[in-house]
Amino acid sequence: MELCLFLGCNTPAIRPDVERAIRATMPELGVDLAEVEGYVCCPAFGSFPSTDDDSHLASSGWNLSIAEAKGLDIMVQCGSCYSSLRMGLDHLAHDDLKLARVNELLELTGRKLECKTAVRHVSEILYNEVGVEKISRTIKKSLEGLHGVIQYPCHTLFPSEIVGFEESPRQPKALRVLTEALGATVESYSRELQCCGGAGGFSSSSPAEATAFTKTKLDAIIEETKADFIVVSCITCLMYLDNIQKKLNEAENTDKYNIPVFDYNQLLALCMGFDPKQVASICTIPRNLVIDRL
Amino acid sequence: MDFSESDKDLWKQIYNTKDLLYCLNCSTCLSGCPASHGDPPLLVRNLARMVVFGLEDDLLDDDTPWACVSCSRCEEMCPMDVKPFEMILAIRKWQSANDETRVPPSIVEIYKRGYTQSVGTNTKLRKSLGLPELQTITKMPQMLKLYQQMLMKTPVVSENDYMFNEE
Ligand code: SF4
Ligand code: SF4
Ligand code: SF4
Ligand code: SF4
Repeated sequence: MELCLFLGCNTPAIRPDVERAIRATMPELGVDLAEVEGYVCCPAFGSFPSTDDDSHLASSGWNLSIAEAKGLDIMVQCGSCYSSLRMGLDHLAHDDLKLARVNELLELTGRKLECKTAVRHVSEILYNEVGVEKISRTIKKSLEGLHGVIQYPCHTLFPSEIVGFEESPRQPKALRVLTEALGATVESYSRELQCCGGAGGFSSSSPAEATAFTKTKLDAIIEETKADFIVVSCITCLMYLDNIQKKLNEAENTDKYNIPVFDYNQLLALCMGFDPKQVASICTIPRNLVIDRL
Repeated sequence: MDFSESDKDLWKQIYNTKDLLYCLNCSTCLSGCPASHGDPPLLVRNLARMVVFGLEDDLLDDDTPWACVSCSRCEEMCPMDVKPFEMILAIRKWQSANDETRVPPSIVEIYKRGYTQSVGTNTKLRKSLGLPELQTITKMPQMLKLYQQMLMKTPVVSENDYMFNEE
């Protein structure tokens, strides 16, 4: 199958090793990737979706129409991009007035939108289209003996009616099953479904409270599990959970917050034998303990 | 509290959905909300009340909708289908339309280069990772121009056009 890869901005700009991991792994699993030439910010919820419907949905429509013109569905890794595009599409597909207005705006640019393109998350593609059997068959190295925990990106869970793909949004399992397919032992913990707290205004408007909020999650992981790594599938979860551990260590004069964080496609790429320097080199908390074991 | 001056129809301006009027005040939307731990806390339930009661001045002054992380837990859990996350965005939209200091600077960045940050300029790093050069909209001036012309027809950009002029 072929899908348009919607990169957003954080991945290509700050964590391009994740982009490399996605571009390296998906075609090997039968998912070819096309570009979304001239895409713009998804739009992020704090931007046009916070100013007016026209600019919000016209930006969603702009991005969706590029993929639609190619006749392809969109695949996204960033949780916010995924949910912004998918919620934008939902508004447009179910409201003729909004769609007509957006087409009026798009017409000025020579584009149009019929809402034929679906927006899908990379973890859903891996789970439903590729499947764990194919993943287990394809990998050359295994994470056996290593323990992982999952951070589910809430933007892929809620609201389940619009963005969801899990059988039960309150008991998600796609990322767990996908990680187990790489040979790792996946442990549960009490705050597994707590948001990382990293998106939106919370961490900038209440930095102390936001840090304390995420600390409760990391403490639960450390106290309740033998986690060697955290698996995410959202660029914001990745950067936030990685960077905040260093902050916590400095603030508390400790080194106990040292759990490496990986995007799922990075672990997949490592198990497929790709060069760690290309697919998993950018991080704050060192990853060698995991990478050296492979 | 004095409700004599409150605007009973304000909700129609801000978030015109009957579902809002069925809000039970049950607080389900607070449990699991990360931003409810903030200082000041984001209390979705209270915001719903303020919209229904028409407390215009208090709502205009309230910064808490901007602390939302967009996780949509409230949306998932609300028993009355108020769609609290949609309500938060609707309050922000109304605030932005009525107070230009609320307009987020990120939209100016997106207008100027397509993104909130510089994408596609880290060519050396990307090359070292074996990645191709990105065809960003910033490098496609004609396409960027079309996107800008489209945005010029939208309320937030046309009404605040001074923010978007190239200096
Ligand atoms: S959600 Fe974030 S990463 Fe995605 S395009 Fe918008 S600003 Fe960039
Ligand atoms: S956990 Fe945080 S960063 Fe990740 S999807 Fe949820 S809000 Fe976004
Ligand atoms: S969960 Fe829904 S019904 Fe309950 S207080 Fe919040 S908005 Fe109102
Ligand atoms: S979407 Fe916003 S208001 Fe709702 S639970 Fe998440 S952070 Fe709280």
